Amino acid sequence: MTTVQSPQTAETPAANRQLVSSEILPEELHPSSRIDATDVTCWFGKRKVLERCTLSMEPGEVTALIGPSGCGKSTFLRSLNRMHELVPVAAIAGTIELDGVDIYSEEMSPTEVRSRIGMVFQKPNPFPAMSIADNVLAGLSLSGMSNEDPKALVEQCLRRAGLWAEVSDRLNEGGMSLSGGQQQRLCIARALAVHPDVLLMDEPCSALDPISTRVIEQTIRELCEEITIVIVTHNMQQAQRVSDKCAFFLVESIGDPGRIVEAGPTAQVFENPSDPRTYDYVTGQFG
Amino acid sequence: MALTSPELQALEEQVPRDIARTVTRGDRIFRTLCASAAAVSLFIIGGTALFLAIKAVPALQKAGLLSFFTTSVWNPTVGDFGVLGLLIGTIIIATVSLIVAVPLAIGLALFINEYSPARIRRILTSSVDLLAAMPSIIFGMWGFFALQAPLVGVASWLNLHLSAIPFFRLSEPDAPLLRSSFIVGTVVALMIVPIITSVSRDVMAQCPRSQCEAALALGGSRWGMIKEVLLPFGKAGITGAILLGFGRALGETIAVALIIAFTIEANPYVLEQGGGSIASLIAIKFPEAQDLEISALIAAGLALFGMTLLVNLGARAIVRRTQIAA
Ligand SMILES: Nc1ncnc2c1ncn2[C@@H]1O[C@H](COP(=O)(O)OP(=O)(O)OP(=O)(O)O)[C@@H](O)[C@H]1O
Ligand SMILES: [Mg+2]
Repeated sequence: MTTVQSPQTAETPAANRQLVSSEILPEELHPSSRIDATDVTCWFGKRKVLERCTLSMEPGEVTALIGPSGCGKSTFLRSLNRMHELVPVAAIAGTIELDGVDIYSEEMSPTEVRSRIGMVFQKPNPFPAMSIADNVLAGLSLSGMSNEDPKALVEQCLRRAGLWAEVSDRLNEGGMSLSGGQQQRLCIARALAVHPDVLLMDEPCSALDPISTRVIEQTIRELCEEITIVIVTHNMQQAQRVSDKCAFFLVESIGDPGRIVEAGPTAQVFENPSDPRTYDYVTGQFG
Repeated sequence: MALTSPELQALEEQVPRDIARTVTRGDRIFRTLCASAAAVSLFIIGGTALFLAIKAVPALQKAGLLSFFTTSVWNPTVGDFGVLGLLIGTIIIATVSLIVAVPLAIGLALFINEYSPARIRRILTSSVDLLAAMPSIIFGMWGFFALQAPLVGVASWLNLHLSAIPFFRLSEPDAPLLRSSFIVGTVVALMIVPIITSVSRDVMAQCPRSQCEAALALGGSRWGMIKEVLLPFGKAGITGAILLGFGRALGETIAVALIIAFTIEANPYVLEQGGGSIASLIAIKFPEAQDLEISALIAAGLALFGMTLLVNLGARAIVRRTQIAA
């Protein structure tokens, strides 16, 4: 499946991209970051749900995590920005390095980790009591950052998330007044406002229609030039469309922890997988 | 109907049609039961108010309706009554108790929900609920015997360091500090902390996990999440909890009657001995009261009833306004 885009959806974001890269934020471009997860094992209480997962997420690339339900993709993703430990019984082993620094070490606080590694959730979760603009800026007030020109930041982030055109005249309306797809892009804009180096996305399109999905996929492709992206998806076409690299997670038999069966360039994983189980999964012959 | 062409149908304005509402027999019986329960309780409330109003008439006539609310006297022998000072005293005590109780209660609620380890959380939750059910006489006695001395210390410290604020001044340098509105207010505060804590904790626990996670995932600290997500989410419910506490503080009787050095006039020196409230007036005077004085006490009770109603309506209006703004 190739990246064919319908002309209507392609138009606006493409125009936005030019604005983004040339006018709005040249000085704010980040050098991309890399994440190296080594031998990551996760537990919930006594139950081991993920075992010895090793994966490198390269700068400027989109890494897709695929695999059947319950194999630990969300758990792995949440361990990458220390959301895993918010579950009271959760435990973790192994190391996760952001540009060579272990995020679970003394050198980094959870709040620093999470503001450098942002997250977009499966279900859009804008803050209901805040306006659209305040939603975008929420990360700043949450982490006590300040910004000299909040208006410009709001516009810039909404443009990058491909939402500006739709909401520019209603920035003061509540975040919940948007459609599901718009809410999800608002959440992406909100995550971008704190200038993360990495963005984690857990099935960001699973609640959206095909058009909204396309818009978000395009946004992902544009963002990956500056931000390292890790995305969980159940949609094989989507993984092929947006990702450069792909990791296949699997629970071999019930009760086992999830493991990474195969990881590599997306084209290779889909067209020429080295493991027969990967082949079965990506061709839809699973189970 | 079949003759109407689609074009004509489109031209015709549509109006809402009747919807048939069929009710099953079970529903009808249950509805009747509920309605009668509601009618009975309304009748009891209305009847009580009416009865009290009728009983209050003699005293109000004797003292004069206006002067009953604008003077501060209590003279049963000549039939001269006025509760202005006690109304003010009631508000002073309730306000002191809110100022002390609200930060304590919300801090405690947040600690229980957000900071305490699971085991301590269970213990705290059940002890708060237990305290909320504790009879107020126990608080009153505890306040009288155990709390007065330390609170006098606090009062003189407040006076020494914060006398720039009019509330913390004294009428004279060595005025007695025992049995004051401040001490009563603080004891009442301890009585209303559990109920405010318990209700606001419940409300904040309802906040969707996804909202809290969103805040934390943006790099927010726990305090940031509380400020930006939990408190806005719980605003209406917390206001309700505070109102509930305020209502209790307005009506609190035994603790006030036990501790305060009762005076009819309002005492603006909060830290100083002396003060009063409507409820404590009734508790103190009722055992010895006869004819006209009983009528005057009932009128005072009505005044308290009216004040509580006003405060509740006012606060409700405030909550509604802030909700619309949000
Ligand atoms: N909070 C939790 N407490 C206990 N066990 C959990 C918790 N969250 C997830 N698990 C378990 O961990 C395992 C991995 O779950 P995870 O959510 O990571 O799967 P997933 O690959 O994201 O699945 P899906 O594709 O359905 O989202 C599952 O067996 C799940 O039951
Ligand atoms: Mg998942």
